[in-house]
Amino acid sequence: MPWHSCGFDRVTFTDYNHYMSIDSNYAHPEALVTTEWVADHLKDEGIRIIESNEDVLLYDMGHLPGAVHIDWQRDLQDHTIRDYIQPSVFAELCSRNGITPETTCIFYGDKSNWWSCYALWVFRLFGHEKVKIMDGGRDKWIAEGRPLTREVPRYDATSYPVPTMRRDKEIRAFYEEALAQSRSGLPLIDVRSPGEYKGLVTHMPEYPQEGVLRGGHIPGARSVPWKEAVNADATFKSAAELAKIYREDLGLKDDDAIVAYCRIGERSSHTWFVLNYLLGFGNVRNYDGSWTEWGNRVGAPIEKSV
Amino acid sequence: MSYPPKLNAIIALFSDLPDAEKRETLIAYADQARSQEPKEGETFDLEDIRKDEECTDTVAVFLRLDEQGGAHFRVTLGPQVQTLTKAMSSILCKGLDGITPEEVLAIPADFVPKIVGAELVRLRSQTVYYLLTRMKGVAKVWLNRRRSEAAEGEDSPA
Repeated sequence: MPWHSCGFDRVTFTDYNHYMSIDSNYAHPEALVTTEWVADHLKDEGIRIIESNEDVLLYDMGHLPGAVHIDWQRDLQDHTIRDYIQPSVFAELCSRNGITPETTCIFYGDKSNWWSCYALWVFRLFGHEKVKIMDGGRDKWIAEGRPLTREVPRYDATSYPVPTMRRDKEIRAFYEEALAQSRSGLPLIDVRSPGEYKGLVTHMPEYPQEGVLRGGHIPGARSVPWKEAVNADATFKSAAELAKIYREDLGLKDDDAIVAYCRIGERSSHTWFVLNYLLGFGNVRNYDGSWTEWGNRVGAPIEKSV
Repeated sequence: MSYPPKLNAIIALFSDLPDAEKRETLIAYADQARSQEPKEGETFDLEDIRKDEECTDTVAVFLRLDEQGGAHFRVTLGPQVQTLTKAMSSILCKGLDGITPEEVLAIPADFVPKIVGAELVRLRSQTVYYLLTRMKGVAKVWLNRRRSEAAEGEDSPA
């Protein structure tokens, strides 16, 4: 993915270096903004702040002034088949939220930005180029005592053109592709908790069972829980720390074709963001079918470890 | 089975609401969750404070029995608990107030979708059922203790 696809070029980015607690050594530091930067640009033209959460009512309890709500299930998923919305529905979603192809969409949310990374990834599926994450997400904004509102903003509808395609082949992996990845010994990253990877549990800690029949991991997958990439305040770790985890310890190379997965694709969206935008790997795909597909599929090969 | 009258009234309220107003009413209940916490000086017959593997944060359930055998619950929720669970804590503390522990155990969970609505009951919001399970657990422990104490009383020499 070209680095300029994040909305600002590097020259502009250095203009607001004074906001930085964003590590300029990231491959695409322009893909992140700080809470401070967002606080100072809440009313800027050409920006849309988007909250995406796991907690379905959290936006209603209070959100950043001017932020719109995009719900991962209601807004981004097809309600009949397990797939994402069609391009025409994406165009409608953007239009009613006052988003144009030129709008810089800044995503934030709960759970260390799992769902905001997921929403960002879906926006990239439809080719929306100007996307960013607010580092630290909702928790950091609140921890800093910044304001929330319950006022739901209304923006003039736009006429967002219907994307001509969904970029499934570029940034998304399906079952057969994940299987081929496994058989070829290419990098597969399991970003779930260690217990899920080992097959000791079929749900993540602190969550109820989500209907998976088998535990374990895709043969050949390496375990790097998503959480490795974040600090205690939900911000992303530094470029050097991330490089140690993914390049040095895991051994990923620049030209590797990488597939990441979790249970339903949200935690792996987070890792996809890290690998793609912060470390600059050019060929990373998110297997969003993830373990809820693999662990239920008849005949899918599974490894367990202790 | 029929629900306790106070819970029934809440279910009836939600049943008549369109989805948008259901949502607003749930937010109002979630806002009241703090008022269901134990008050200063209150004492309880049973306290169950823990963070289960299935829940994102600590949930504390407190039970007090009045002289007529009616149960009164208080609940403290950690900050990471989901908004739906916060709303459900208010609904259950009000809706189950005054019924007996035996009646608490008999309440089916099928009222939850009637309150929450189909749109909000989803893969990652199943913890909305969690609080009822915890309250039933507390009621069951209290009943077992009472039965044990009664049995010990019968066994002891006159």
